[in-house]
Amino acid sequence: MKMEDMPLSGPDNTKLEALVHDIYSELVEDACLGLCFEVHRAVKQGYFFLDETDQESMKEFEIVDQPGVDIFGQVYNQWKNKECECPNCKRLIAASRFAPHLEKCLGMGRNSSRIANRRLASNNNMSKSESDQEDNDDLNDNDWSYGAEKKAKKRKSDKNQNSPRRSKSLKHKNGELGSSISTEPYKYNYSTGISYESLGPDEVRSLLSTQCGVISEHTKKMCTRSQRCPQHTDEQRRAVRVFLLGPSAPPLPDTDPVVESDSFDIPDGQTLMSRLQWEDSPDISPADSASSKTSTNHSDSRKPKKKKRTSLSLNSGGGGGGGGGGVGVSLTGGCSSGSSSQSNISLSTKKKRPKLTGPSISSIYDDLN
Amino acid sequence: MSKESRMRATINQKLTEMGERERLKEILRAKLTECGWKDQMKAHCKEVIKEKGLEHVTVEDLMVEITPKGRALVPDSVKKELLHRIRAFLSQHAT
Repeated sequence: MKMEDMPLSGPDNTKLEALVHDIYSELVEDACLGLCFEVHRAVKQGYFFLDETDQESMKEFEIVDQPGVDIFGQVYNQWKNKECECPNCKRLIAASRFAPHLEKCLGMGRNSSRIANRRLASNNNMSKSESDQEDNDDLNDNDWSYGAEKKAKKRKSDKNQNSPRRSKSLKHKNGELGSSISTEPYKYNYSTGISYESLGPDEVRSLLSTQCGVISEHTKKMCTRSQRCPQHTDEQRRAVRVFLLGPSAPPLPDTDPVVESDSFDIPDGQTLMSRLQWEDSPDISPADSASSKTSTNHSDSRKPKKKKRTSLSLNSGGGGGGGGGGVGVSLTGGCSSGSSSQSNISLSTKKKRPKLTGPSISSIYDDLN
Repeated sequence: MSKESRMRATINQKLTEMGERERLKEILRAKLTECGWKDQMKAHCKEVIKEKGLEHVTVEDLMVEITPKGRALVPDSVKKELLHRIRAFLSQHAT
């Protein structure tokens, strides 16, 4: 706003308004003049009435202005309620869905060929590598990445699967199992895994000794992965074994069901340390009467540990202070000692033999090595 | 009066020099085409031409026939918009 503002004195204002209107009228007249020139030129050049030459066609294509009808006179939802019979599958399909249905039904068109190709590819992949397959759900979720993985693992699975299973496939006359086992991988049907119902007790036992075997809820098939497959827990594996082989099921090949403190998560070095820790109890007990009872009790209760303990006991017997050192090491190793009594033992021994930690550690390692 | 006429002359000059006049013309033409004014006027022209006969139409004839109707047929919204713009220009640049 440089010079004058809008609100002015009376006469000036009206004059300004008059000026504004004058300018406006000039502009409108300019527009009219422009139109006149355009029309006049069209008339003189002969193209002004060009769209009106054919009266008949003009009537034919006149703009329609009726309710329920578009400007061409067509009813726009005429085929909404109509159904058509598909010539292929003889079903009644709604008119608006008819074209896509035909595309899939006849197997023509871009989409249907794509789907069919994908299905063929996944079928081939599955038939060749069944051991890595768990659920169909997994397959559906990871279409592309899973397919790539399976191709890489294909050969491995063939090696593993063929030999033990060939004998089984001969025994069983069950058609499904015969096709599912990899003697003829190319005739594989869509389902993977093994159906436990069709296996005899011997086959089940041998299967369970090598594979995870957990039965999937969705497909009722046993998991064909290894014993340590991350998708199922040991509890599940044990439950399956009990279910299939009865309550007197053989223990899992990998030990461990008993100790809570020693979980599978502990790497080997630390399990060794934890075993050393248990190793301490027989050594400690004569020295520490208070802890001896608890320690011996614990040592008795842990059966699978005994064998290993005896082997180590020789070594630790050689290094007298090995017990305390072992305890110290195991504690520093960060071994999780879940039970309180264990920690009591370790604490008590720690108090008693702090001095021996230094030299004893090296002796333990020497003995073990 | 001369003052006023001088002022008018100055303003008109400014309008033209600053290109505002051209801009306003374009805006007006676009708006009139948009709102259908142009088609209406063309239809009227056709009638006039049919009356007068195709061969003897002159620009002046058309002008005489068309301008009054044209002025009347401009929709109010377009008119208001344009007046507003002109006023804004004047308030900015008037002496």
